[in-house]
Amino acid sequence: MTATRNPTDWKSEAMRRRIGRRYAAERRFKLAGLFAVLLSAAFLAFLLITMMGNGLRGFTRTEIALKIDFPASPLLLDPNAITDEALNQANLPMVTGAVAKKALGADADALLAPTAWVSIRDAIRADPKILGRTETIDVPASTAIDLAAKSKGSPEAEAQVARLKQQGVLSTAFNGSFLTASDGTDPTQVGIWGAFKGSLLTMLVTLALSFPIGVATALYLEEYARKNWLTDIIEVSINNLAAVPSIIFGLLGLSIFLNFLSLPRSAALVGGMTLALMTMPVIVIAGRNAIKSVPPSIRDAALGIGASPVQVVFHHVLPLALPGILTGTIIGMARALGETAPLLMIGMRAFIATPPGGITDPATVLPVQIFLWSDEVSKGFVEKTSAAIIVLLAFLLAMNGLAIYLRNKFETRW
Amino acid sequence: MTGPAILLLLAGLGAIAWVSARARALRLQTVARASGRRDAVHSLPGYHGWYVALWTLIPAAIFLAVWANVAPGLVTQSVLGDPAAQSLPADAFSRAAVLGEARAIATGQQAGAFNPLSQGLVEPYRAATTKYGVAGAVLALVLAFAGGAYAFTRVRPDFRARTRVERLVMATLLIASLLAIITTLGIVASLLWESFRFFSMVSPIDFLFGLKWSPQSAALGYGNDDAFGAVPLFWGTIFIGAIIAMVVAIPLGLMSAIYLTQYASPTVRKWMKPTLEMLAGVPTVVYGYFAALTIAPALRDFAAAVGIHGASSESALAAGLVMGVMIIPFVSSMADDSIAAVPQSMRDGSLAMGATTSETIKRVLIPAALPGVVGGVLLAVSRAIGETMIVVMAAGLAANLTVNPFASVTTVTTQIVQLLTGDQEFDSAKTLAAFALGLVLFVVTLLLNIVALRVVKKYREAYE
Repeated sequence: MTATRNPTDWKSEAMRRRIGRRYAAERRFKLAGLFAVLLSAAFLAFLLITMMGNGLRGFTRTEIALKIDFPASPLLLDPNAITDEALNQANLPMVTGAVAKKALGADADALLAPTAWVSIRDAIRADPKILGRTETIDVPASTAIDLAAKSKGSPEAEAQVARLKQQGVLSTAFNGSFLTASDGTDPTQVGIWGAFKGSLLTMLVTLALSFPIGVATALYLEEYARKNWLTDIIEVSINNLAAVPSIIFGLLGLSIFLNFLSLPRSAALVGGMTLALMTMPVIVIAGRNAIKSVPPSIRDAALGIGASPVQVVFHHVLPLALPGILTGTIIGMARALGETAPLLMIGMRAFIATPPGGITDPATVLPVQIFLWSDEVSKGFVEKTSAAIIVLLAFLLAMNGLAIYLRNKFETRW
Repeated sequence: MTGPAILLLLAGLGAIAWVSARARALRLQTVARASGRRDAVHSLPGYHGWYVALWTLIPAAIFLAVWANVAPGLVTQSVLGDPAAQSLPADAFSRAAVLGEARAIATGQQAGAFNPLSQGLVEPYRAATTKYGVAGAVLALVLAFAGGAYAFTRVRPDFRARTRVERLVMATLLIASLLAIITTLGIVASLLWESFRFFSMVSPIDFLFGLKWSPQSAALGYGNDDAFGAVPLFWGTIFIGAIIAMVVAIPLGLMSAIYLTQYASPTVRKWMKPTLEMLAGVPTVVYGYFAALTIAPALRDFAAAVGIHGASSESALAAGLVMGVMIIPFVSSMADDSIAAVPQSMRDGSLAMGATTSETIKRVLIPAALPGVVGGVLLAVSRAIGETMIVVMAAGLAANLTVNPFASVTTVTTQIVQLLTGDQEFDSAKTLAAFALGLVLFVVTLLLNIVALRVVKKYREAYE
């Protein structure tokens, strides 16, 4: 005897409730997914907005209009013979201090940045005739005043700012020296040029090493290598290197390049070599995918009219695969540009006040500079750190944008 | 002769060799064609050019590379043989210091001498440097000419220049691909070598199972016995990287992947996927700064407000949360791939049976994609425990064995940075401990990666 079952009553109350529950679960699940996406995106937005909020102030500086009566000042300069030497001998820092005391009161030393005299020197150099008259020059304010004017200073500095505002001498200007100066001890005078140049040199070394080696490896593995134990080991090593933590590459650089080969410490050369070992697997993997996507018919056609295997690859496959390889290279370079840990290991965290002149000079790079500034106690470094982060992110964004543009432009469908 | 000048000269010689050999081969070709034998010349003229140019350049370049390593020793020998060197101090260390100073003055790196002895050696140094510099340059040029001349005599119609050049190209490609093996070997060798030196001072058992980590006290001479117990570091690493970070990354990453693959409209997907991927592109130093500057103080204030004791401004939670956010794209893109790899027929079948989309996802897609998702999570864990800057900047230095997420913990990578960025003597257990930690980190991430790839691979084969 077969068990008979009544047909399901879709309209019954129990069934309707059950379906309602299932649909509610469906809606909840979908909302949870949306929530996860939005939360992740919100975190990114929060990060960027925080950095912008802190960092954009780092591109500006507070200036104090200093009225200088040059003929009456103790400045010994001949307007007709302004040379660098004469300016150096004129003892401008002391003169500036004296003039500031007269104009702003006894606490002038606390108001002006230690580098305030540089603005006066530049003004004299630009127009020596001002030595004959009274001139008002905007000079950078000290860190305490700068912070207070941007609304987060100490009570003492707040009072000074209020007084200066009353005198109407405070102004805010673009801080050009942030892009042209190097590391320093006072947050009003530091800049990123030294670290930026270090980054450029390091990237240059990385690119010069990892691109040819990476492309050659990809070509060999994809086009020529027979399947045997050697190529197996090569493949395993490459996949493994791509997943090794970056700090391990720093340990490698330290013990091989510095201790064993005794190459110069803190130099862009060693930094670039270390990062090249990290970037090479990325380029190899991207390169192999690009080469793989070139259709075999192109190789067959070239072989068919008598080209040698090397000619097939260098005349036909490589040019077709190059856009894909370049995209992978740019992504790998962007990763190398943001890398910090391995460079700490090889000593690129030194205090470097002069931009490096070559790849063997002591240098630092942007991410390491950010790390070093983040450790500074002085409050003024917070906005400088964020400003440096903005510069770094802008470069990364530009590189990734270029990679996406290249990918879209050269995307070929066979 | 200076380095750049000789390199430039060699490059010029190479160019001349290329042009003249190619011209000769062209002439041969013309002659052969004029006599009606079109296939008489085996290789194209360009290949003959390359063959001769390479013979000009490579022997000379190899010689220069060797010479650059040999010459400084020869220069020092010659300076020591100079009469002015008779008055040098006997012990090797101060002798080397004087020689180093003389070298610095001679090469213009240093303006004046601290030690009067080195001043007298500057002139012999310059003379010897010049002598060996000129000798090296002359020998290199002779080699270049000899190599070029030998190769040039071989430019004949039946000479297989292309085969030779291509053989060199192939060798170059092979050597380039061997570099990956050499790098791996270099990593393993350097880690093992320094770790062996460390383990000759500290027992591996104490290192792997000891509960107290205080390398500073060991450096100050309080004994090594119990100062290098790495368990608190391993715990800190697992606590931040494998627990807190994954609690953030797995739900967010998985749900993001599900929403973007199953629910989102193509436009939303087109915009949100790159946005989420940007999270992986932000440099870790930026995350570290953000964690230390914004998240950690906020968490400390929150903990104080709800009455949790022992809240530190450098907390495991701050580092773990931010690291979890950084890992989201890894989890979501792996989950994305493995969900997409589930055959459409399985999804359609489930929907046709009357299941809702979420039921299909939970009961069909996720179980089917599970190995891929697990593999992705393992890769993300491996990435998280190797991550350095976030924990260096936000997690603190105190080696605590605690489960309180608001307390400060330290990790393996933080300690590697700490141990290697102070004063460095490569004989102290303190410095070498960094390499032992590096070895553990390398082995653990390697194992995680191997397991993850196995899991993913095994799963991939299931539906094919």
